[in-house]
Amino acid sequence: MKASTSKKINGAAGTVIMTVVLIVILFPVLWALPSMFKDRSEIFELPLHWLPHQWTLENFRTVFDMPDYNYLLSVGSTTLVAVISVFLSLLVNMMAAYAFARIEFPGRAFFWVYMLSTMFIPGITILLTSVRVVSFLGMLDTIWVLIIPGVASGYNIFFFRQYYLGVPGYMEEAAMIDGLSRAGIFFRIFTRISTAPMVIIGMSVFMSYYNSFLWPVMTITDNTALYQIMQLIRTLNSRYTGRYGVVLAATMMSLIVPFALYCFFQKYIVQGISIAGVK
Amino acid sequence: MRTDGQVRRSFHEKLFGKNKFKYRYAFTGYAMIAPAFLLLTIFVVIPLVIAIVRSFFDYRSYAEVQQFVGFDNYKLILGTTSFVRSFRNALLFAAVIVLVQLLLSFSFAHVLKNCHNRYGIFVRMIIYIPYLISGIAAAIIFLFMTNYGGGLINGILLAAGLDPIAIDMNVTWARVAVIVPTLWLGFGYNSLVMYAGLINIPKDYYEAATLDGAGWLIKLAKITLPSMVNYFLLTIVGLLTSSLTMFELPFLMTNGGPTESTLTPVLYLFNNYRNVLQSSSVTIAGAILVMLIVGALNAVVFFAVQSKSSQDD
Repeated sequence: MKASTSKKINGAAGTVIMTVVLIVILFPVLWALPSMFKDRSEIFELPLHWLPHQWTLENFRTVFDMPDYNYLLSVGSTTLVAVISVFLSLLVNMMAAYAFARIEFPGRAFFWVYMLSTMFIPGITILLTSVRVVSFLGMLDTIWVLIIPGVASGYNIFFFRQYYLGVPGYMEEAAMIDGLSRAGIFFRIFTRISTAPMVIIGMSVFMSYYNSFLWPVMTITDNTALYQIMQLIRTLNSRYTGRYGVVLAATMMSLIVPFALYCFFQKYIVQGISIAGVK
Repeated sequence: MRTDGQVRRSFHEKLFGKNKFKYRYAFTGYAMIAPAFLLLTIFVVIPLVIAIVRSFFDYRSYAEVQQFVGFDNYKLILGTTSFVRSFRNALLFAAVIVLVQLLLSFSFAHVLKNCHNRYGIFVRMIIYIPYLISGIAAAIIFLFMTNYGGGLINGILLAAGLDPIAIDMNVTWARVAVIVPTLWLGFGYNSLVMYAGLINIPKDYYEAATLDGAGWLIKLAKITLPSMVNYFLLTIVGLLTSSLTMFELPFLMTNGGPTESTLTPVLYLFNNYRNVLQSSSVTIAGAILVMLIVGALNAVVFFAVQSKSSQDD
């Protein structure tokens, strides 16, 4: 009797706490959302009001009609870069992870330590010299400079290798008896049984590319068609200092792509944190 | 008289040792690691080697032959007030963020754990959302809320008859303005990691403890915390790394000010990469120091967790 009452009180307190947290988490975005529709005279007008008195699409028009930058093109190129990178990154890292998990070859331990140790090198440490390298390779201001340097990742190889080590060996034996080669086993079987880790790593790769700022700022300077979205938002922020609605409109619209992806893969991601909790 | 096959086998043994079948797929193995190996070498290892070499030479002089200067660049960067100050700021941010975020997410994970209905699932889904938002976008949203003229915070303060706050003029508020969005961005993700750790603890541990008459404090100290050592270690090192390499929020919110009170090492390095007055070798020496601290920290925790989980298996 007593236990069930205290459980009920606990449950009610829990619901209250969760609701408060929910409001705090959503509040900043929800507060900013209607201000995209406020005119520049109204946006910082006091007393505070959430919804605009006069709804206007002026801010969106400004974002879409900039003479020197193309907002939609930036969102598009950022998304394209992220999507290509997700596929390349999954292919390259999963292949390496499979080899490290399943195939014996001379020097394996050396290559493993070599690749794993790259994960402890912060991006900022090699930022300047990486720019030198990509500039030497003639990649500056091309789409490749955004994609290629980040494709291979020591951490992702480690993550997939851990997953593959847990896959029982009899599947491969059966496949080998059926005459499948090592590469065939990887492409036919291992890419199919690792959907969950592929979604988790794929999403994290997508987000790191879509949200990247420092690298595009250093490598995309003249080619405004390749301006990545965060780079563009920062440019707008310094250009439209007096018109915060424009900056807000650009920022909020940039969230649509990641939010849509999250809605789609949400089930995998929230469950996946218990697998990926290591990061 | 040896057959052809025996000759081939002995040749093979000479090359690869007695285990003749061990390496039969070696070629496939090399082919599969080759792309990752080449990419990591070109875009991580070579830049790192160049950076290390450059940190020992003076590149300020535009002479044909660069001069070897030993540890001079490191001495110079450690004698630079701004750089040392940026490290002190980062340590302060890291201390506050690690403590507050751990406490908040660990407590909230308990609330999530005790909620088994659909609302709990819904809340778990929503709190992840800020983790999708970049530092740049978060800075825009919080700059809007803290605007001096008529942002939310100052609107409330003015309505209450108080003085408005200018986050770029006041050291304490500037730091708060960098820390609060950081906490907001990571809270949901860290809560979910803690939640995953909590639900992995077998229930019978707690039931046995209850039978022995243990209170919640004893359960926390003897069951929950020891079972979650790895989760804590990885969360702490993740928070430490992201706090020590903080860049986008201070860059947009305060641009390091006022009086460099929110300057972080990465922001310092970013500003100085374009500084023609300072030798880029000196800046690179600073970047190497960042790696020594952040990378070493990560490596130690990584291998500690790995060896512990292999013991568990």
